[in-house]
Amino acid sequence: MLRAAAVIEKLGIPTASIIGSGFLKQAEVITKGLGVPLAIGVYPGAPMVDSEEVLARKVEETLAPGLLMGLTGEAPRAADAKAEPAAGQVVFSGTFDEVQEHFHRQLWTDGLPIVPPTRERIDAFLAYTERKPDSVIRAVPQEGREASTLSIAVTGVMAGCRPEYMPVLIAVIEAMCDPAFRIEDCGSTPGWEPVVIVNGPIVKELDFNCGQGMMRVGRQANTSVGRFVRMFLRNICGYRIPPGAGDKGSIGQSFLVAMAEDEETAREIGWPTFAQDRGFAPGENVVTVHSVVAITSPIYSGGDRAVDHVQQWAEVMGHSFTYWAHTGFKTGLWNPLIVAGPSIAKAIAGEWSKDEVRRYLYEHVKVTAERATHYARMTSTPTFSLEGLVKDGILPPEYAASSDPQRLINVIIKPEMIGILVAGDPGRNQSRAYMGNHMQGPPTSRRVELPRDWAQRIKAKI
Amino acid sequence: MTHPNPPTTREPHYDVLWPLSRKAVKATAAAPRIPDLNGKTIAEVWDAILRGDTIYPLVREYIKARFPRAKFVGYDEFGNFHGAREREIVAALPDKLRAHRIDAAIVGVGA
Repeated sequence: MLRAAAVIEKLGIPTASIIGSGFLKQAEVITKGLGVPLAIGVYPGAPMVDSEEVLARKVEETLAPGLLMGLTGEAPRAADAKAEPAAGQVVFSGTFDEVQEHFHRQLWTDGLPIVPPTRERIDAFLAYTERKPDSVIRAVPQEGREASTLSIAVTGVMAGCRPEYMPVLIAVIEAMCDPAFRIEDCGSTPGWEPVVIVNGPIVKELDFNCGQGMMRVGRQANTSVGRFVRMFLRNICGYRIPPGAGDKGSIGQSFLVAMAEDEETAREIGWPTFAQDRGFAPGENVVTVHSVVAITSPIYSGGDRAVDHVQQWAEVMGHSFTYWAHTGFKTGLWNPLIVAGPSIAKAIAGEWSKDEVRRYLYEHVKVTAERATHYARMTSTPTFSLEGLVKDGILPPEYAASSDPQRLINVIIKPEMIGILVAGDPGRNQSRAYMGNHMQGPPTSRRVELPRDWAQRIKAKI
Repeated sequence: MTHPNPPTTREPHYDVLWPLSRKAVKATAAAPRIPDLNGKTIAEVWDAILRGDTIYPLVREYIKARFPRAKFVGYDEFGNFHGAREREIVAALPDKLRAHRIDAAIVGVGA
């Protein structure tokens, strides 16, 4: 929200922004990154739970006077910027424990011990890319810091990655820096988490787990790449939970270990891989970053017909995701991701293509218009209207096909928004589905650039 | 804080690099304020969440009580800058603000 205020303020028009008191620390971090001081009027507490009377009193006594002062009083001034070290500068020397304490006090860790980022370790990472350490992908919200090659290497070291993961880490940050991914929304209150999905020969070469226990902490590649993402968001972007600030995930969730696809099974059953669905050629090394705001229970399904399994997916996804789908309706976008167990995928693929699966889910997961509207209004949007969203061209016409509040509408906006990944336990009949957070963190992919001598270097590692 | 396992002098020392990166933020001063809002036009810019439809009229009333000749342009004129069209709407703001000859803006609600 403050991004819009900054645009206006930079035009030379004074602004005053309405901020809930619970957002003040985040506002402070964001304002520094925007580069213009902003006046704020504070609404004490949470407006969504106040009565009309209480709300009116808070506006009269606190918010409105603050806004008026912001427009008519002294212009806000930026806090004095603290001098910072140069990139690549040694900032501390000490034992392992002393390093941990120092980093912990500076809010540079995620609460777990980090691998000390020494020059030697960082150089080992940089040796896996032809990019210069000071090359910058872009400056990233919220603090406006540079996503540089060096920052990726330092964060990779700290997160416990191996140097040879560096090409993957660069591709991950490139994807997250794509404007379509909306890295500026990684600290929003739903507390969504990016998950990395890996495709291509590097799944095996780097020992990613795409089988049983794929989403457990425990395999170095999956675990440390997942931890890297959260640590990058914390240190380079500035998304920190208290006693820091910037990450406003109200409850939030832990980092997600990276996913990888069981491409052998996908090929065997004749389904395109997840990366092929996203337009890449077979055999290309690709990472995709995808927001996850909710996860279903494990979905067990039995039978030798495709419908036996996909019907079960539809039911469980419907129960788990219907409530939050209104956020997708507001933005015209949300992406479900199904991790199909290999045995299940095999049973389905005997009869249906992936597109047929998508079509079935699209047609069978439903909610009444009345419930979707109710959920939206409870969350934050008092003016939510399916008819209005259709009129604005955000939703397809069928969402306003009648005025009956009990009419059933599709929870999934378009079949092609569904991602399907084959992975998990080949010895069990289990799948699981993941929900993206509307237009925040839609699946965004990048090809992994490997160094020219990759094959020899990986061979030498094995 | 005392560490539960105090280090011994035999332990290696690590020279560690700064784990953050350079800030690339160009600082701009805030716009001059307007002590007298009489005769000025104030834009209401809303992201369509968190009861702004109730809050904005109350704020408008409060300001009008102190500056009776202040004028307001409602949030419908500017669009929801938090929704599906966020980037287009923010990009269009400068032209819309100029078209309405806006002198000041109230932006909400959230962070």
